[in-house]
Amino acid sequence: MTQTETAAKKRPAAKAKTGSDVPATQEPKKAAKPAGKKKSGLAFPFTAIVGQEEMKLSLILNIIDPRIGGVLVMGHRGTGKSTTVRALAEVLPFIDRVKDDIYNRTPEQYVEYEDMKKGAKSVDPATLKTEKIPVPVVDLPLGATEDRVCGTIDIEQALTSGVKAFEPGLLAQANRGFLYIDEVNLLDDHLVDVLLDVAASGKNVVEREGISIRHPARFVLVGSGNPEEGELRPQLLDRFGLHARIITILDVAKRVDIVKRRREFDEDPDAFMKKYSREQQKLQKKIEQAKALLPQVTMDDSVLTDIARLCMNLGIDGHRGELTITRTAHAHAAFMGDKEVTMKHVRDIAGLCLRHRLRKDPLETLDAGEKIDREIAKVLGEAEAV
Amino acid sequence: MIAFTDIVGMDLAKQALMLLAVDPALGGVVIPSAVGSGKSTLARAFADILPEGTPFVELPLNVTEDRLIGGVDLEATLASGVRVVQHGVLTKAHGGVLYVDSLSLLDSSAVSHIMDAMSRGEVLVEREGLSEVHPAKFMLVGTYDPSDGEVRMGLLDRIGIIVPFTAQNDFRARKKIVTTVLGTRDSEDTEDELRMLRGLIGAAREQLRHVSITSEQVQALIQTALSLGVEGNRVDIFTVRAALASAALAQRTDVEEEDMKLAIKLILIPRATRMPEREAEADEMPPQEEPPPQEEPEAEDEEAPADTPDSDAEADEEQKDTPDMIEELMMDAIETELPDNILNISLASKKKAKSGSRGEALNNRRGRFVRAQPGEMKSGKVALIPTLISAAPWQETRRRDKKMAGRPKTALIISKDDVKIKRFRDKSGTLFIFMVDASGSMALNRMRQAKGAVASLLQNAYVHRDQVALISFRGKQAQVLLPPSQSVDRAKRELDVLPTGGGTPLASALYLGWETAKQARTKGISQIMFVLITDGRGNIGLQAAFDPDAVKPSKEDLEKEIEALSGSICADGIAAIVVDTQMNYLSRGEAPKLAQKLGGRYFYLPNAKAEQIVEAALSF
Repeated sequence: MTQTETAAKKRPAAKAKTGSDVPATQEPKKAAKPAGKKKSGLAFPFTAIVGQEEMKLSLILNIIDPRIGGVLVMGHRGTGKSTTVRALAEVLPFIDRVKDDIYNRTPEQYVEYEDMKKGAKSVDPATLKTEKIPVPVVDLPLGATEDRVCGTIDIEQALTSGVKAFEPGLLAQANRGFLYIDEVNLLDDHLVDVLLDVAASGKNVVEREGISIRHPARFVLVGSGNPEEGELRPQLLDRFGLHARIITILDVAKRVDIVKRRREFDEDPDAFMKKYSREQQKLQKKIEQAKALLPQVTMDDSVLTDIARLCMNLGIDGHRGELTITRTAHAHAAFMGDKEVTMKHVRDIAGLCLRHRLRKDPLETLDAGEKIDREIAKVLGEAEAV
Repeated sequence: MIAFTDIVGMDLAKQALMLLAVDPALGGVVIPSAVGSGKSTLARAFADILPEGTPFVELPLNVTEDRLIGGVDLEATLASGVRVVQHGVLTKAHGGVLYVDSLSLLDSSAVSHIMDAMSRGEVLVEREGLSEVHPAKFMLVGTYDPSDGEVRMGLLDRIGIIVPFTAQNDFRARKKIVTTVLGTRDSEDTEDELRMLRGLIGAAREQLRHVSITSEQVQALIQTALSLGVEGNRVDIFTVRAALASAALAQRTDVEEEDMKLAIKLILIPRATRMPEREAEADEMPPQEEPPPQEEPEAEDEEAPADTPDSDAEADEEQKDTPDMIEELMMDAIETELPDNILNISLASKKKAKSGSRGEALNNRRGRFVRAQPGEMKSGKVALIPTLISAAPWQETRRRDKKMAGRPKTALIISKDDVKIKRFRDKSGTLFIFMVDASGSMALNRMRQAKGAVASLLQNAYVHRDQVALISFRGKQAQVLLPPSQSVDRAKRELDVLPTGGGTPLASALYLGWETAKQARTKGISQIMFVLITDGRGNIGLQAAFDPDAVKPSKEDLEKEIEALSGSICADGIAAIVVDTQMNYLSRGEAPKLAQKLGGRYFYLPNAKAEQIVEAALSF
């Protein structure tokens, strides 16, 4: 290839984002815009997606309670996995962050991390200005390099002014938001290691060339892929709170509907968005209400006992299964507008929470979903018999 | 340069390219064809019929990641002091055509990037301190020779049109190239024809927005997709688009039957995982037995994509409701143009089967250089240039550092953090070829344990990023249930439905395994291990696989056959373990002998635990 001169193009997008007009400090204090920079073209509206309820519910529950731990969407090709995840951005609620903070920190987080710095004066959270931003959705492409994921030194500043400035990476942008990896089963092993590390600690630490940065990096991990292309590393699999499965829709009427909507969208995206704007707003509102309701949702001890029994009967190691079910059931109840978690809520989400946690029995031919359903029925039956 | 209109034959491929020219949203065209068929000539000639100035970029097979998606142009950056971005090939193809010759040989990470760009319509660059979005909407035109291996299904899913593979096309194409090369045509004629064709396509592009399709027609196309067992819903959109484009080319405002047929031919049939008529036969058999493996090896594959048994059952139901019109339409489409449709179907299922065969792993020592990344000097080969480049920006600051005082001004100061090591991509280590004896005598033995052992080995193979292939043998001959793949799920499913009964064609299994091993070698997989699960009592000769009426060979002949095969396999450096499934009191020591001949290790299954076998296999 020849030296094609794209040279004139001077990273306009990145410049706007990280603000390279920042003075020569170690860490840029300003961020012009949060992760929203990558809006190119309109995304297909979430509420216009036909079917695939399992995936949609998993995503919504993770918005309501990010502690659920993300969702892994595995299934057939061409079934709208990435379309759905990318559509998510439009129905997300807003969060408060310290104004222009590149790490999307709350005033409390800001103070906590800034105070840790050597020689820093302590900051009063009350003096900090905040702003509302939509929950960020950050796309991690397969070809991303480690330095862009974790953040690195700004080369340009180093070259022009000989100053060491930190340029935050995708993990910084994703703090308190969603980190999406399409084809997650094909992700390079060393990036998987980085993600596992950060996901476990909730912090990203960069030590390089005399720069030492640590910042919060808590995000909802969303991955999607096709199991036939390769499988996921067990450690990573375990990190996902929920596991949604997605298969080809076989209902002809639904498929006709998909084709129609897609064509309509392609022809006139704006009009299509408008058509669904009310539903989008309705969903957004419902999610916000659920978020508000969540702290008031309670669960009877008997339900907890049933959950524990379910996990025990299924032979699930550790307590992550119970914990995830409990949290997810709470979020589900809140989404349904209920203040009390019942086994009905549990039944709806148990498959999502446990599917990937069942111990693999090589001789087992029974589908994981069926097995879970059967156990739930059993547990419920026992409960009723008593 | 041979022009589009000069090419005789390959009509279907030409039609495909014209549809794509009318509606680039079809994603692309893939043309499988044998060597020398003129497929790449045709693909390159595609540029002729596109509006002038449409980019046409050919992707070199050995493209590196930064060339493909773009990155920092380090040379220019260092020279100018500001960051200079170099666009990747994918961005250069924006608004035009990305052409890949030998698509099936393209590196898997490159395939992933192309898939990603196609699904977004843009390239996300998140590397080397660069965070950018570049537009990358392109039509992908790919050609490949199926004997080189298959194209990843994930990629095919994003490319609308797959031209069915027929031998006939190749022959005609070859003949035409001769005539063209001989210069029998007038260049002015050619120019006129091309101009006309460009005009036609321009008009069709205009017409496209005026073409409509009825709901019934959409439904009929979807029904067809269902009865052919095509995976995914995206394909519906492609099919409808192709029908519309076909009508637009004919300057019509309505989609007609011929448009639908063309769409079915170019989009659905190449993706079919089953033929409608066959399904009826399968229905009558007990679920465990179907589909009969010997007669239709491809039928095994088609079961796999459906994740749950219900989805298949549902599809069958749908299919019964298929109105006659659709059935006719479909059969018509299949029969008129494709006399050897079975070939096509098996092509599609082969593709599926191989979709997991990306036995590649990044490592620090061998394979093809992909990228440089920070690392310890000891942990790999140092990438000198990237190291120097990463050190360059710091020279000024470092020189100011007192510790560095007294150094000559011209000396480069390189710190540990600058060191970049090379990352290579390599086909990963080992291919395990499982050969499972499914003959009648196995029923007595411990089939269940055998399956358990295989399943745990599979699990392990996955963790180590190895590949697995599965061969079963019973009746007259062995067959490949799963070609080399990383999908443990698929292998398990195949095992679950493995029927038993019949003779023990051990020689056929060894032969097939050897063939599979040889093929894998050509793809760069160097370590191969056979895992034979059998009682070692071969009683069917190799001949039986090809000639059902062959005389049953004597015991000595059988043994000679096995011995010769084993010797060759051993000489080829293929490791083996034999897991004996026979009960002690029945054994006449056949399995240990087999292990000896193969130069492999022997295990006695009733005693051995699955884990022990796994350990043995992995300790090689």
